Amino acid sequence: MTTPRISPESQHRLPLEGIRIAAVTVVWAGPHVTQLLAEWGAEVIRVEPMNRVQPYSRLSLQRQSLEVQQIQAQAGVTYSLTPDLDPGPDPWNRGAAFNAHARNKKAITADITSPEGRETFLKLIEVSDVMIENNVPITIEKAGITYEEIRKRNPQIIMLRMPAFGLSGPYKNFRGFGTHVEGMIGHHLLRSYEDLSPEHTGDAFTADAIAGVLGAFAVTSALRYRDRTGKGQQIEMPLAEAFLPILGEWILDYTLNGRISASQGNRHRSRSPHGAYPCAGDDQWIAIDVGTNKEFTALTGLLEAAALASDDRFSSNESRHEHRHELDTALGEYTRSWDKFELFHALQAARVIAGPVMSELDALASPQLEAREWFNELTQQGVGTHKHPGILFKMDDTPNRLRTPPPLLGEHNEEIYLDLLGYTRETYEALIAKGLVGTTYPPEVLESAP
Amino acid sequence: MPGLLEGIRVLDLGDWVAGSYCGRLLADYGADVIKVEQPGGSTTRREGPYAGDDPNIDKSALFLHLNANKRGITLDFMTESGAAIARDLASRCDIVIEDYAPGVLAEHGLDWARLSEGRDDLVMVSITPFGQTGPWRHYRGSEITLQAMGGPMHSNGSQEREPAKSGGYVAHYHAGISAAFGAMLARYRIESGGAGDHIDLAIYETQAGFRDRRTPSTLAAAYTGFASKRQGSSQSVARGVRIASDGYVNLLGHSPRYWPAFLTLIGRDDLNDHPQSQLPPPQMSQDFVDEIEASYQVYLIERTKRQAVIETQAIGVLGGAIYTTEDLLTDPHYRGRGVWDEIDHPVAGKAEYAGRQLILSESPREPVSPAPLLGASNEAIYENDLGLPHSEVERLQDEGVI
Repeated sequence: MTTPRISPESQHRLPLEGIRIAAVTVVWAGPHVTQLLAEWGAEVIRVEPMNRVQPYSRLSLQRQSLEVQQIQAQAGVTYSLTPDLDPGPDPWNRGAAFNAHARNKKAITADITSPEGRETFLKLIEVSDVMIENNVPITIEKAGITYEEIRKRNPQIIMLRMPAFGLSGPYKNFRGFGTHVEGMIGHHLLRSYEDLSPEHTGDAFTADAIAGVLGAFAVTSALRYRDRTGKGQQIEMPLAEAFLPILGEWILDYTLNGRISASQGNRHRSRSPHGAYPCAGDDQWIAIDVGTNKEFTALTGLLEAAALASDDRFSSNESRHEHRHELDTALGEYTRSWDKFELFHALQAARVIAGPVMSELDALASPQLEAREWFNELTQQGVGTHKHPGILFKMDDTPNRLRTPPPLLGEHNEEIYLDLLGYTRETYEALIAKGLVGTTYPPEVLESAP
Repeated sequence: MPGLLEGIRVLDLGDWVAGSYCGRLLADYGADVIKVEQPGGSTTRREGPYAGDDPNIDKSALFLHLNANKRGITLDFMTESGAAIARDLASRCDIVIEDYAPGVLAEHGLDWARLSEGRDDLVMVSITPFGQTGPWRHYRGSEITLQAMGGPMHSNGSQEREPAKSGGYVAHYHAGISAAFGAMLARYRIESGGAGDHIDLAIYETQAGFRDRRTPSTLAAAYTGFASKRQGSSQSVARGVRIASDGYVNLLGHSPRYWPAFLTLIGRDDLNDHPQSQLPPPQMSQDFVDEIEASYQVYLIERTKRQAVIETQAIGVLGGAIYTTEDLLTDPHYRGRGVWDEIDHPVAGKAEYAGRQLILSESPREPVSPAPLLGASNEAIYENDLGLPHSEVERLQDEGVI
């Protein structure tokens, strides 16, 4: 056992206080793992190059001109937008996709593929507990920062690797976002509309969300294991494999019964009505989920839908499920005139499971999230003060909130290089002069950026 | 080598998917998990698909999957004597998982305040639709309504149609993993010299914090006042789902890094010098996009989905095929990596299961044992672990508590 990190006077400190994590994460899933660990107290140090722009991490620059952002905002492709659609002089510090995960983290610049950057990174490994990365495997191999390499500098290090498909096998170096991984494991087809091809179902990054929480679970568990045994380890967690158990019963339907799962859309295996039904207004919907006669009676009573209540086709759960398409269409005619929130409260009062389909603007106005103080305001230099999405769950005796705003590019260079890693001012200045350390991308990098 | 979670004892009172999966995850990596079911069996036993389509409570795929690697007992902890036994069991455990509506366990003296009396080394995880507090705490929620309210459902699907949920019980599984993360955070703090805690997990909030576009789009809405919209799959040139000879692929055909190589691959290197070719996709003209799409479609229809993926991966294109469950189970990559667990269940039979997500270099996962038959470990746990006399167990059985 190591010395207790938590003193008796502060038994409810954040569980990961004192844990340091070095991260070379890109795009969506890796940064989500470090987000979750930082929320519970870990010091996450994000290492990024400034001699090239990583597309989709701090985001590609041409996508963020005011003109392009106006097109994207109108089209509803919003996740890369910047405040007031203004790219500002430093769009890489202002994008929602980056800033939504980067709160509580620190950021330094170093290019792990350069000899100087690799050495910086290995110095950081020496004083870290965990390293997290989600690059294509060959990138980490070329950079010479595999587990075998980094454990030479820190035998107790825990390394989480998150390739798309694995560190071995024919798809080892396949490139893809979460949405592509979901295709390759059957989720895209499963979530497509029952009666339409998967072309009508856009990208989703569900696999990134799953990998985020699973990676955070794995790292926390491995920290406990290290403290008990003195041993660090490598954790290999491919995005594809992290998601497979989420499809557990569908996979068993094939392996037990030979059944190939069809697209489900909003269909449930046995419950009906089960779907999203139109409400008053433009693109407003309510989800309703009924599985018993009692619930169906309450639903039709509230909607004054006597014709549905007395229809033989809808008289039992089995029969409703068999005729679910007719029922869905008919039910929509009754919900159409309702405000989605009024219907939600009325149905809940009647003990019918229902919930409005809520946009992000609805979420920002949610009385439940408000009452639980779920959103936290953060002020970021040059970006402003905004509500940020909160923490996944609460601990009764451990009050927790977002602590620091998303870091600007290279914001913590001095603190980490000089104070933590012990670089001399002279060496540090030399790295700046070489264009490897700084707080803004050099003009030539911006010009050649994607 | 000890397992990753060796030495942790878990009481799993989870009746539905999120609580049960939290327990399964802890069990898979070495915790000793006792699954407690009401005498009639967990709700997940009453949902298909069933092995052989036989609606037998020991053949539900959902239950079999969610409860592998656990020991199982039956106990009606809504009775006075049952609740006393549950308290005794909890006192011997490190982590208690439950997913009942707020206040239900308190009525039976099984809530956090009661279970943590006199000990500061307990972790309890309560999973509910909306949390233990707030104006909606007593509202009912389910997979589809919680995806709709909290998650990215309003941006899933086509603008021509209703919003579409994500597959299966993904919100519940995600909540279950989040709960396991929370439980291990609290457990780790205890082993580091701190105290335990009660985790209040609302699936509505795990959905609101869902990284699948929801948190970026929510921050973007706070930044700009714009909400996201459903995109279908043709949002941008050569990006999204397209048909191949035997199914579908989903490729990110356009990226400045490999755009020239992509045009060459689809036989259109002549377009490399076209002025439109240098623009970001949202600014390309429709005519130009149509021309590329037509050539791209000809390329795809001459290839199987796997061929197309292998060829495009070779030039650096991000993407994948749209698999069926059969494609998945027969794919040599996953099979070669040994991802499938073969489990032989005494009633449901032998089958391959999904389960392994992590490959751990120091604490590898043990082979998986099948989900328990209803009450399989009653005798072992009540008589051996708790030391109840055989006659007492028989009496509880007669009373319907066990």
